Parts: sequence; C-alpha cells; structure tokens
Amino acid sequence: MTASASPGQGRNRSTTGRFVPMQRTPDDASQVAVRRRRPDLLPFLLIAPVVIFIIGLALVPAGFTVIQSFFTVDELDPPARFSGLNNFVQLFHDPAVTSSVGNTVLYVVIGVTLSTVLAVPMAVLLQSAFRGRSFVIAILILPWALPGVVEGILWTGIFDSNGGLISSLASTLHLSTGTGVLLGQDRLLTIALIELVQVWQITPLSVLLILAALQLIPGELYEAAAIDGAGPWRSFRSVTLPLARPGIAVAMVQAVIATFNVFDQPFVLNGAASTAASLTMQTYYISFQNLNFGQGYALSLLIAVATCVVSVVVVRVVYRKVEL
Amino acid sequence: MRTIHGRSPASTRSARMLAAVAGVVLVTSACGGSTASSSGSGQTTGVTITVALAADPPPAAVLAAFTQQSGITVNWVNIDWDSLQTKISAAATAKTFFADATDVDWSRVGQLGKLGWFVPMEKYIDTAATKADVPQLSSFTSDGHVVGVPYDASFMVTTVNEDLFTRAGITAMPKTMTEYTSALKQLKSKGVSQYPLNIPFAAAEGLSTYWYQTTNAFGGTVLDGTGKPQFTDPGSAGYQAAAWMVDAMKTGLVPPGNINVTDSQGEQTLMAKGQVATTFSDYSGVVGVLYNDKTQSSVPSKTQYLPTPGVDRPTVNLSNPDGIGIPKEAKYPDAAAKFIQWFTSAQTQQDFAGLSGPSKTWSAYTLPSHLSAVQKLATAGGLAQGQVLADLLKTSKPVFAGGAPTWYPKFSNAVYTNLHAAATGSMSTDQAIKAIAAVAVSLSSGS
Repeated sequence: MTASASPGQGRNRSTTGRFVPMQRTPDDASQVAVRRRRPDLLPFLLIAPVVIFIIGLALVPAGFTVIQSFFTVDELDPPARFSGLNNFVQLFHDPAVTSSVGNTVLYVVIGVTLSTVLAVPMAVLLQSAFRGRSFVIAILILPWALPGVVEGILWTGIFDSNGGLISSLASTLHLSTGTGVLLGQDRLLTIALIELVQVWQITPLSVLLILAALQLIPGELYEAAAIDGAGPWRSFRSVTLPLARPGIAVAMVQAVIATFNVFDQPFVLNGAASTAASLTMQTYYISFQNLNFGQGYALSLLIAVATCVVSVVVVRVVYRKVEL
Repeated sequence: MRTIHGRSPASTRSARMLAAVAGVVLVTSACGGSTASSSGSGQTTGVTITVALAADPPPAAVLAAFTQQSGITVNWVNIDWDSLQTKISAAATAKTFFADATDVDWSRVGQLGKLGWFVPMEKYIDTAATKADVPQLSSFTSDGHVVGVPYDASFMVTTVNEDLFTRAGITAMPKTMTEYTSALKQLKSKGVSQYPLNIPFAAAEGLSTYWYQTTNAFGGTVLDGTGKPQFTDPGSAGYQAAAWMVDAMKTGLVPPGNINVTDSQGEQTLMAKGQVATTFSDYSGVVGVLYNDKTQSSVPSKTQYLPTPGVDRPTVNLSNPDGIGIPKEAKYPDAAAKFIQWFTSAQTQQDFAGLSGPSKTWSAYTLPSHLSAVQKLATAGGLAQGQVLADLLKTSKPVFAGGAPTWYPKFSNAVYTNLHAAATGSMSTDQAIKAIAAVAVSLSSGS
C-alpha cells in the first residue's frame, strides 16, 4: 500500500511515544480509497463536457473526414465505395483546385505578413496608458466581431468600380484610375485587396494577443535598458520584440488558420472567378454544388494538414520560451 | 480482490462498455442521425410546419388566415439562397429533417429528381390540370415526376430605359439583335449613355442565365436533349452570343466595373439609377417592384419591357421560376402539401401581387405563376405593363427542354467562370467556349 495518511488517520501513538502504523481492516482501506478518489474525479468531471463536445463535434467528424476521403461518396453516383487515393489524384488534376492553391498561398502570405506587421505597432501603442484607451480597444475589436459576409458586402461598396467609394473619390479629385476596375481584372491586385478586407477583420485579435504578451514584460527591463543608453527603437528591438515572441507566434498561427480558410470575402467580393477563388470555396463547390462529398472530404483534409504544417513551422521559427 | 489503485475485471468491463456506448452515441451524432423517418406524419391539423425560402415572409395576416382555415401554423424561415441550397443538400444527405416545405430552384430540378430528395408533387396536385394555367410547371418535371410547384413566374425579359432611347433618337424599339446592337452604339455615340448595356459579368449564376437568353435570341440552344454542347461552332448561336457579350464589354458598351457586378447589383445600381439604358436579360416583374419604385429608383415610369429581340423578329423568353417542394424527411408532408396548394393557388398569388389590397400584398412577390392571375392583374391595372408580361409568359419556355441535367450546377460553374475570364481578357472568347464545351462533353458522357 503506497498511500500515506495523516497522523490522526493512519497512525497511532504507541505507549512509548513512537508512532506505529495502525492496523487497518479491508473496510477501512476502501473508505480511505473512496475518500482519496473523490477529489481525483472532480477535475475530470469538470472538463468532461468540453471533452465530449470536442470529441463529438471535432474529433469524430475529423476521423470520419479522414476515412471518407478515401471513399467515393458521390450522391449522384451511389453507393459509397473505397477508392484509395483516387479523390486526391482527381483533385490534383482539377484546374480549379490547382488555381486555388496558388490563390490560397497568396492569401496566407499577404494576410499573415500584413496582420502581424500591423498588429505589433498597434499593440505597442495600446500598451502605453492614454486617455480613451479602453474605448479605442472596444472600437478596434469591432471588425473582428463582424461576420465575414457583412464585411464583404460593406467593402463591395468601397471597391465597386461603378460608383464605389474609391472610384467616386478618384473622380472627385480628378485622379485617373485607368478603367477603374479594382477587383477581378488583375489576379494579384484582386487577391491583395480581398486579403486587405480579411486583414481588417483578423488584425484586432492579433493585436490583443500581442498586447497580452507585452503586458507581461516588467517595466524594470525598460528602465535598465534606458540606463544602458538604449533609445525607444533599441528598447523595442532588444526588449519588446524578443519578449513578445510567444504572443506574436500565437497571433501568426491564428492568422495562418484564418487565411487558409478564407471564404466569405472572396466569395462575396469576387464570386466564383478563378482569379481569387480560395481552396475552401472549392471545397464548398465540390461538396455542395457537385455533391461529391468524397472529394470534398479529401480537399478538407489537405487544407487541415497544410494549415497544421504551416502553423508548426511558424511556431518553430517565431516562438521562443520566455522566463521572466 | 479489490485493490485501491487497480481495477477489478468487472469495473474494467463496465468502463469498456461505457466507452463503447459513448463511442456509438458520438458516432451516431456525428453522422447526423440517420434515424429520422422518411415517411412523416399524415396529420394535417393542429400542426406547425416549417417553410424555408429565400424571402421575407408574406404578411402575417395572410398566414394567420391560412392557419385559421387549415389548422396549420406556419413557421417561416428566411435563409439566403446559397445557404438554403447547402442546407437542403446537407439535410437530405444526412437524412435529417430540415423543413416541411422549401425551395426547388429550376436549375436543380434534374439533380433533385435523380436524387429523389423531394416528394413527387403529382401525389398531391393534379399536375395535368395545373399545367394549363401554370406553363412553367414543365420546368419542374424530371423523369415524369414533378419535383416542385412554381410559386412565381420568373422569366428573362429585356428592359429598356425608354427616356434614354428617345433622347438618343431611337423612336422605333429594336426587334432584332442587329437593330438592338445598333441602338446600343447610337446611345453611346450620341453621348446619352456612356455605357448603355448592363451585363452582370460577375462569376455567378446570373451570367449563365444571361448567356442562355442571349443564345436563344441568336436562334439556338446551349445543350441538346442529351446534354451535348451546341455552341462550339463559331457560327452557332451560343458562340455568337458569347462573342457578342464579350465584345460589348471590350468595345465599351458595358461599364468596365461590371466585371464584378451580379444580376441584382446591376438592377439596383445601374438600371434603377439610370446609369445604363438597357439590360438584355433582366427579370420579369422588375419594372414594377424596382424600376418604378421611387424609393429605390431614380427612373420611375421611364423603363419598360421590350419583347426580346431575336434574329429576324422578337424571340420567346426563357423561364427561370422559383418553386416549392416537400423534402422526403418532412415531418408533416401532408400538411406541407396543403400549404403548397394554398400558397401556389391563383387566388393567393393575386393577393400577394396586390389585387386584394395592401394588407395582403407581399412586397417580395414579383409575378404570379398562374396565367389567369396575371391576366386579372393586367386587366385591373395592378401590374406594370401587365398585358406585355401576360403575353410573354404565355410563350416562355424552359432553358432546357428536357429539364435541367443532373450535372447542371457544375456546368453552370464552368459557364460563368469562363465567360467572366473572357470578359476580363485573361482568355479569349474561343478559349472560354472550348473550356465550357469540354466540361459539358465530360459531364454528359458521364466521365
């Protein structure tokens, strides 16, 4: 028996004043065990609902997705049957999918870079105390709280070449914008502008994540840096940036996940056009337009794997453990 | 023997059993629950049915009157069209209840007919008798079964801003494609309209239907009865239609920004604001509900329907109506059928269209699917250019004579993505036509 007991419970004082182990009956032993096991169960009970939710709504469907991606599951061509890697092979031969791979890579590169570059200075600014700081944070979070479809519709009015905000401003200021077409004509410009809308949405969360990391940095470090003659820029490079790396890494990972799964903004702003269609849009078309769920599962799986791989790379490159 | 840290075989068995049960429960729930009955209740009174359509509900008083007369309460759910199609597919695939009555779009009739996701409506409605007064019912027939019943009469029409045409000196409205194209050039050259023509070139369904109507105007069809493409020859109607549309963009007849304009955006921001003079393939009813509405339009009473120009005379119009049907997993299919009978009746449609006063008028409603209802509206003067619409409706025909093919959504995707690409200049019209044809050949051959 490995369990230790408190003096009053497990040990008796002998007549010589020494403590000797108390003789236990089997009933005593089980009571002790019950007393000991009750508090052990509590944490499991507390997290059980979340675990069940995650298993039921994420892991089990994810498992099904993995399995079904190796099957032909086509509502117009029943029954479902094992087809090995056929779904994956078909995807690689689908020009719409291969074109979307390139588009999605651009979304990820532009989105992650831009949201991080914008979020770091914004977080640094918000770290300093100023009047109305809470209000600014509340305003900042608004784009993140808006649904992507709403943002897409909102920005349609800005980018619309037939009298949108930008073309109207250009016209008022007598500036030439060529044909005035911002979306749909040039692939890189279209993707950059659409991703700008998503960056507007995801940057607030990045700011908050980095701000949380900045607030853990002790003020003494900045004082020490100042004593050593470091100016604001040197303090930022040598104190702020290295110590904010955990927050920056988490912010970049959320940006990677969001940009890999971009759907609403290109769907609303550019329709199904191959100039800017993303991989998740192709998943939608394959699954719910063509009803070829097997290929849809396979593409979902590929997106999930790619997201995980890039996220791991980002964490390995950017994340550094900080001990203060 | 029990130990404190170990487990007895009995408890291990229990734990395994529990885990197994939990696993089965989770797997079942993850599969979406395939235990829903495919034959719902026959109850038709004292029930609440869910009706899911991409529209705001009809007036509450009208629905309340239906409840009073039938004992059926209607729970109306407004879901945008794209989400609605996704939900219909997801629910039918998982064999779960989604709604008792929902949208059946003309373009998905072939697909839905083959899948058997909807209850055949001939079980509830005398389709042969209905067809005489509802000509567009044929658009909802697949393999001899009626998948849904049209609740409005949507068909493609040509709309013109008569004021702009007159200012450009065009007194006789064009009857042929040649005359129509000349009129467009005249509108531009006279400086009356910088960009006279609205073509919604966004890569969306509206671009496909525009091409079908234009192909029809050039005297042909897109696919034959077996689904083979009829537009690959440069002399074919489909090829000429695509070239005409793309050239209109390249020669400045269409606003450059239309690359990303959808059909509804074009109606609201271009035609209704007088920025363009005409839309070749517009929607029936739009003059009354949008262009003549002073709250949304700056050109009230200035637009009109034009019998769609053809090769040597005006051509017929293609229909793209909205229908309503009963999913196989409906809880109360018989009650839903009663609702559909009422909802698609000529009397209810007249009420929706405004013939019985504003309290029964449904603002989202465009045009009755019953010829008799349209005729009554036209006679009563309650419909903008009612007689013109009634005449066009009589001769309107389905886009695909044999019903939309099962693979229509994929084909349409190829149409609008490639025509969009041709309009942007990233591929030629010829390349776009070849790409669309390749998809059609592949799909129609079953590969």
